[in-house]
Order: sequence, then structure tokens, then C-alpha cells
Amino acid sequence: MIKLKRNILFVGAFLLLSLTACGGKIKNPQLVINEVMIVNESNYMDEFGQRNAWIEIYNNTAATKNVGGMFLTTDKNNPKMYAIPLGDVLTQIKPHQHRLFWADNEPFHGTFHTNFKIDPTRENYIALYDVDGKTLVDEITIPAGMEADRTYGYEIDGVKYDNSGNILAKVLDRATPSSNNQVVGENPKIVSLKETDQEGLMLTITSMLVVFVGLILLFLIFNTIGNTASNLSKKRKERKSDQKNVEISTDSSITGDEIAAISAALHELMDDQHDVESSVLTIQQIQRNYSPWSFKAQTLRRNPRR
Amino acid sequence: MNILLSLTDNLQTFWGYTGFANVETGHLIMILVGLLFIFLAIKFEFEPLLLIPIGFGILIGNIPFNEAANLKVGIYEEGSVLNILYQGVLQGWYPPLIFLGIGAMTDFSALIANPKLILIGAACQFGIFGAYIIALNSGFEPNQAGAIGIIGGADGPTAIFLSSKLAPNLMGAIAISAYSYMALVPIIQPPFMRLLTTKKERVIRMKVPRVVSQTEKILFPIVGLLLTAFIVPSGLPLLGMLFFGNMLKESGVTRRLAETARGPMIDIVTILLGLTVGASTQATTFLTGQSIKVFAIGALSFVIATIAGILFVKIFNLFLSKDNKINPLIGNAGVSAVPDSARISQVLGLEYDPSNYLLMHAMGPNVAGVIGSAVAAGIMLGFLY
Repeated sequence: MIKLKRNILFVGAFLLLSLTACGGKIKNPQLVINEVMIVNESNYMDEFGQRNAWIEIYNNTAATKNVGGMFLTTDKNNPKMYAIPLGDVLTQIKPHQHRLFWADNEPFHGTFHTNFKIDPTRENYIALYDVDGKTLVDEITIPAGMEADRTYGYEIDGVKYDNSGNILAKVLDRATPSSNNQVVGENPKIVSLKETDQEGLMLTITSMLVVFVGLILLFLIFNTIGNTASNLSKKRKERKSDQKNVEISTDSSITGDEIAAISAALHELMDDQHDVESSVLTIQQIQRNYSPWSFKAQTLRRNPRR
Repeated sequence: MNILLSLTDNLQTFWGYTGFANVETGHLIMILVGLLFIFLAIKFEFEPLLLIPIGFGILIGNIPFNEAANLKVGIYEEGSVLNILYQGVLQGWYPPLIFLGIGAMTDFSALIANPKLILIGAACQFGIFGAYIIALNSGFEPNQAGAIGIIGGADGPTAIFLSSKLAPNLMGAIAISAYSYMALVPIIQPPFMRLLTTKKERVIRMKVPRVVSQTEKILFPIVGLLLTAFIVPSGLPLLGMLFFGNMLKESGVTRRLAETARGPMIDIVTILLGLTVGASTQATTFLTGQSIKVFAIGALSFVIATIAGILFVKIFNLFLSKDNKINPLIGNAGVSAVPDSARISQVLGLEYDPSNYLLMHAMGPNVAGVIGSAVAAGIMLGFLY
């Protein structure tokens, strides 16, 4: 009983610890206004050979997202300023990919040309609203006085907040239209492992610890369940034996051989009760299921009617 | 004369397309390996359900052909039939389906009845990380070392799943290595089991496991999934399917689904998996120095896992009462080659005491090993992907 309580206490403590870890962490939006250029003098050019301000949207999820039907705006009071056209396959943004919109007030130049321009002399608010025109997907405020050909956004694609919930937007070192803001050549986890754990010992110890913790918890839970189950069945047995007043031997000193011998004897006895069946030949009826694939009538030509 | 020239030209062109014109030594070596697999499976019945499809797959994959002709016949040629079937391996969706079948055919009663045996399954995972250390120090990148290490989990589907993510270029060698050593478990494990145990230890009789209620059996997949997947969510495709399969089996109301999962479905996936893994050993891409290293480290990982399991039981016994002692001959069964390693415990146990049946006890660590290796794969994926 003490063991049982100890197990419950241990598992309970672990669960409590897990619950305390459930914090109200602020999540990054699924679609992020990732990088914005306000004054474009000698940077990226559109398909008409014009340079204008641009807005880059980043799909922060592992699934393809369609921005068709969503709204881009520079006015909080007018969320439906530019409706991103429906029916263009290019509005589908692949996982962790980008799409660029030109703020050039030339909506007839194509899906990705908005009906508004950005004023570089003042602070600019840009927001992306969902298809209902009410649900805010993401917003960003770019300070006034941005230098020419410089962009404002997030250093790591899609990472809008730090652990404390502060917004990480800043003037970026270089403009990277339709590509990652931070170029990652190698897996950072591998790079750090190569530096800090060349022999692989730390990873081994950590991993073995996790494997053991996981399986020890499983052990404790099933130990507890097992103990509870056997306590319950013992009580049930006691109650039954009290009712019937019959003593059932639960002598654990019986060996496997003895159990096997008793079972064999019982089998013999039961078998003897059925002395007829062994000499009777039973013919089971075989049922052929109908199948149009093998039905002969389907393959034969019928006689012509006269 | 012209007819003769034309005929010679045609025959020459045809010759250029035959296997004889394109054969390399590597193809012949691999064909011999394939034949060896088939021989081992038929003659000694070493994991025939795996070795026959893999062995024959090796033969299929190593028929030389004119690769420049773009005939779309090879496994590595996009759009070929074999390439389409191989996607299940590359994208990693065969292994979770196999795990679904394994879950539906595994009886976890031995483990539930004696939960401390779970810990043996955990200890044997040292084979994975021991091999990781060796691979890392043999010049492999950490992600490649992780993929090679998983061979020590003695679990083919897990090895394929992890290597398809961490080191796709080594997947053929890793899969072949994992399945070969799983088949060779009856040869690899016994010498170490004998070496590391005393005569007295080998005849330890373990307590008869208690009867497990249906409620406990139903609770096992639920609790198992919630606990392990919360700790290692990256192992979810394997763990989720394993416990789901077991739920189908134990719920008692989904007999048809369980039978399909453990019968026709796992058979179909095993055929496709075995055949395509075998065919992926096309000599031109497979026979490299790295593959040979992978084989060597793979063998070591099985040895390390076996030793870790046996030594763990010996140490664990120091803390157990006289009645609850564990026979160290079941320590090897934590290597999750189900049910071969458990069968070895039984055979060796009977050799030293003809009335000491260890199979039911060994099945506990054996199935715990399956869970343990899936958890370990999840950890590797978390750290290295």
C-alpha cells in the first residue's frame, strides 16, 4: 500500500511539473508580414520594370496556405482595402515560403499589385486580414523615415515574438525579397553539436536519460495499475469466498509441471466424455459464393430468338 | 551485304541494352549477397518473411541495364514502377504502417504483468547511442551517425523511418544492415549471453506472471501513447501507429480492423518494403566504403545492445529480493528483434534447465524494446533533424 502511494505521488508530481510548464506562450502568426520595403530606389524591380514599395508575406506553417480572398490594408479602419484575388494558383504559398506584393496602386498589373501606395514620410501600418475581413492575421508598424533600399521585418523568417512576447521587428541588414531573411546553409543543431559534443557523449547521456524517464514512468503507472487491479481482484475473491463459504487454494508453491499434469488429466477426462465424435466423419458443406467474374452464363453467347 | 551490316548493327544496339553489356563487378557481388539472403531464409529460416523479399529485391535491383537510355526501369529513376513503390520508404510511410500491424499482433500482457521488465527494454537502447558514438568518431556527420546508430534498435521499420529523415543516402545500407543483423540474432547474441552470465544466474526461475485483466490491456495503449508521445512527440508516427494497432486488438470490438492490420495489411506493406529496400541496393549507388563502415558499426551496435541488456539485469538483480530476481538470459531480449531475441532467451534457458521456460518473461523486454527504440528514434529526430 505504501509502495502504491509512493508511485501515485511520483507520477502525480511529474504530471504537476508538466502542467506548470503549460505556459501562455505567445504564438507566431501562421502568415507573417515578414519584410517590408518602403523606399525602393535601386532594389527589386517588378515585371513592368518599375521599382515600388513591397510587402513580403511568409507562410509560417508546414502546410500550403492560400492567401487568395484575404485582405491587405494600411488602414485599421478599412480592413478590406485590397482584396487579394481568388482563383490565382500563385496565391497558394508553400510551407515556409514567401510571396511578394507590390504597393504600387496598380491593381490591374496583376494579383500581386495592390490598390494602395505607401507614404514614406510617415509611420506606416500594414495588416493582413482573413477572408472574413474581420479576423486579423498579422500586422506590422514601420517607423517613419526609413532609408532608401532598406527593409523592416524579422531577422529570422516568421519569428515575430521572443520568449517574453516582445515584437522582434527591426530594420534589417540587407533586403531579401522573396527569399529567407537569414540564410542558413547548415542545420544549426548539427553545427552546435559538432562544436559542443564532438564525442557524442552528452547526446548519449541525455537521450538515455529521456528513454529511461519515459519508460520508468510507464513502469510506475503500470505498477500502480497492476497493484490496484490485484488488490481489487483479491477483495472481490474474498467477498465471493465469504458468500460461498468455500476455500480456494491459492498455493503458489505448485510448480509448472504439476499444473501441466493436472491440465493433461483434466483434458483426458473431458475427452473421454466425447467418445463418439472421434469416429464420426463430418462432411462440411462448402458454400460457393456467387461471383459475376466466374459466372458461366456471363461468358456464353445466348441462342438467337426465332 | 547491307542486310548483314544492318543485322549486326541491330544486334550491337540490342547488346548495348542487355545486362551482360552493362554488368559491373558490384552487380555480381550484390547478386551473390541477394542469393545468400535467400539461402539463409530457406535453409536456416532466419527471418524468412524479411530476407526473401529483401534478397529477391537485391536481385531485381542489381540486374544491370543501360542507365543512360532512360528506360525508367531502375529504382532511382523517377517515374519508374520501382521508384513509385520506393516512395513509401523514402517518404517514410511504410514503417508506421508496419508498426500498426505490429501493434495489432503484439500482446503486451507479459509487460503489464511485470512492468519492471520495461526497464530492460530501455537499457538495451544503449546499443543505439553506443553505435552513435562509434559512428561519430569514425568520421560520420552527427545526423548520419544518428541514422547508423538506430541499427542498434534492431527494428527495421524504425531504422528506415529515421534514416529516411536523417541520412537518405545511407538508407539502403542501414536498412539492409538492420534486417540482416535481426535475422542473424541467433548467431550474434548467444556467445555474449553465455560469456556474461554465471551458471547459477542462468537457472534463475522467475515468478509466474499474474493474469492481466482486459481493462489493463485496454489502458496500456492509451497510457503508453499519451506518456511516450508527450515526452517524444517526434516519435509520434511510430508510437501512434503502434499503440493504435494495439488498441484495435485489445478493445475487443474492432476484431475485423485488427485482423486486417495484423494480416493482409502488414503482409502487403512488408512485401513492398522488403522488395524496395532490397532493390535500393543497386550496386552503382550502394557499394561504397561508407556502406561497409555502416555494416561494421551495425554489427557492433547489436553486440552493445545485447551486453547492455544483460549487464543491466545483473545490476538490477542486486536491488531485487530473492523471489523477484530476473534471469539475465532475458536481458538480450530488450533488443527489439521481435520475437527472435525472446526465442533465444527461451532456447538458452532450456539448455541449462529443461523445465525453465523463459519465453513469456522475455516477451516483456522484447516488446518494451520496440517502444524504447521508437522513443529513441524520436529523440534522435528531435536532436538531429
